[in-house]
Amino acid sequence: MLIQEQMGLKEKLEILSDAAKYDVACTSSGVDRKGKKGMLGNAVSAGLCHSFAADGRCVSLLKILFTNQCVYDCRYCVNRRSNDVKRASFTPDEVCTLTMEFYRRNYIEGLFLSSGILVSPDYTMDLIFQTLWKLRGEYRFNGYIHVKAIPGADPALIEQVGLLADRMSVNLELPTAEGLKNLAPSKSRTRILAPMRQIQRGIRTQRTEIIPYERGRRFVPAGQSTQMIVGATPENDYQMIKVAEALYQNYDLKRVFYSAFVRVNDDSRLPVLPGGPPLLREHRLYQADWLMRFYGFRADELLTEGQPHFNVLLDPKCDWALRHLDIFPVEVNRADYQTILRVPGIGVKSAKRIVAARRSGVLDFPDLKKMGVVLKRAGYFITCGGRMLSSGKVDQDYITSQLVGEERRKTWDITNKDSYRQLSMFDDGWLSPPPEPQDVRMAVLGQM
Amino acid sequence: MTIFVCGDTLEGILCGVYDAWMSRLGHANVALELEDRGNLRMFSQYRQVEETREKTEKVIDAIRQKAGQEVYEMVFRVSLSREEDKADRIYRFLIYALNLKKAVTDMLQIPAVYEVFRMNRNVGNEAHLLIEFARFSRTREGILVCGVGPKNDVIILMAPHFADRLPGENWIIYDEGRHKAIVHKANQGWIIVHMDLGQWKENRMDSGDQKEFEQLWKVFHQSIAIRERTNYVCQRGHLPLRFRPYMTEFQ
Repeated sequence: MLIQEQMGLKEKLEILSDAAKYDVACTSSGVDRKGKKGMLGNAVSAGLCHSFAADGRCVSLLKILFTNQCVYDCRYCVNRRSNDVKRASFTPDEVCTLTMEFYRRNYIEGLFLSSGILVSPDYTMDLIFQTLWKLRGEYRFNGYIHVKAIPGADPALIEQVGLLADRMSVNLELPTAEGLKNLAPSKSRTRILAPMRQIQRGIRTQRTEIIPYERGRRFVPAGQSTQMIVGATPENDYQMIKVAEALYQNYDLKRVFYSAFVRVNDDSRLPVLPGGPPLLREHRLYQADWLMRFYGFRADELLTEGQPHFNVLLDPKCDWALRHLDIFPVEVNRADYQTILRVPGIGVKSAKRIVAARRSGVLDFPDLKKMGVVLKRAGYFITCGGRMLSSGKVDQDYITSQLVGEERRKTWDITNKDSYRQLSMFDDGWLSPPPEPQDVRMAVLGQM
Repeated sequence: MTIFVCGDTLEGILCGVYDAWMSRLGHANVALELEDRGNLRMFSQYRQVEETREKTEKVIDAIRQKAGQEVYEMVFRVSLSREEDKADRIYRFLIYALNLKKAVTDMLQIPAVYEVFRMNRNVGNEAHLLIEFARFSRTREGILVCGVGPKNDVIILMAPHFADRLPGENWIIYDEGRHKAIVHKANQGWIIVHMDLGQWKENRMDSGDQKEFEQLWKVFHQSIAIRERTNYVCQRGHLPLRFRPYMTEFQ
């Protein structure tokens, strides 16, 4: 381990932001707060992204670790005790200065402060508390603060920090207890869930209190979030979204983040991913997450124990719709909001626009297009005034082949559908037996 | 066809609406155009609109009372759009808005409403992006200055946000294309000033604080990206190239 006593601010920032980058939560949403005289900053509930890094992820908050020294030895983590990396620590004043000066120049929306475990969870949580106290009190910062609750820290400390921060998060890291035991031996499921429960109770109690606990100061007003690593352990997608659903329902979480596993440590217990981080899987999980939070889907509707993985070729909503063709097509001018919301190609905004616009007249396909509906997908599942957009065949194979994209459709048509086949001069019949439609459908739906 | 030629401001357009409406020629026989734009049309009569405070206020009151605040805000934002036929579009929209009242904002199946909805969204989105992507730098006098180059005239929409956020700072947001600026005085209000601030970039502090924090920000922006996930297409999708010349981390 390399510890330098005299390290410049620039070098520290480089090390400690580099160490924090694997934490994906970088949202600044969930709380609206007006500016105050004599203070710097406000908060916008929609959240603001101030920049985008080279990996396309938004940079909203100054995401740093307080220190990257850590007493734990979690196998997936770049800052684990046994790794030989440069170690650094900020002082509370350095964190405050950086936050204030970046914020003033509109570089950032606030501070995201996490930390390795220095000495003990209590000690580290106390350092974080001191930093926030300084930032709010001495430096008069009124912007957004996201802070980590450290599992195992004194509940009294967590409560104090919660009164200064906007959002708190405890990372679940791995969806099952076995995974955690395997890769992060010093962490345990119960220890992670304890602060989560405490924060949830704090937020709930405050909501029911008639007189606020302390004037003008609320406990974690933007709610709490967590993060799970995708692809480090053998859990399947079904288990992941079941855990996420349980967290939303039982712990009132605002967000669950998914982080595609990046192999930063060469460790025998970690999987080798030759194709790079499982980005598509992460993407599908986020899609499912949105479906659960905004579209009224349950985890069991999207996946089942028998089919525990997401379709590679189709997004979860299309996939669901294709398995439930009995309820389609729906009539846009009459169907209720919840039904319209379940049509692929129609999002929350366009569904709301449709419901508002049809009060004053009948809608047709060009109108839907103006409202933001993606007809390329929605066209197979809706009718406007009893008419369908395409030839109107509600057939699983046909729609699947249309949806999986132009490129794949061509090959699909050639191998499968005699009726849609391009005439050819050299058409000499089938030399090799074509795969059964059933096989192809299974291949497309990922059931092989 | 009688064409009413009006100035490229909210006042100009609303006075144009007033004149066209009160001319009693019928909605189909009138059109609005902005000054000094495009070619003249054949077989049309041109009338210059005279801007008065009274006409503007009458139209604003009518919109607010009959169609509500939301419709007025839409008209205001659309008047900032860069599109050349905005004046006529606002006129066509108001014909519906004053009849259908508040509900008009939902009736996107009407082409005149949709056009205004679209322009409103475009202006609003650009203002939102610029609130995110604006970058201030300190000048030698200690003023925070930010240059922007928006397509639509949106700096007035950015002002309330920053006035709330940075109340104790002297700051300027300067629109380089239109040579106008929002000037905010610490702990006081803000005003719009038409002026040429062409030299502001040279006036930035080249030593001390400003340089240091610019450097630190660049370092942070570099190190926060995960190398294994590099995706420039995604980055360009979220942060179009046209904003980057004004942003510290890409300079």
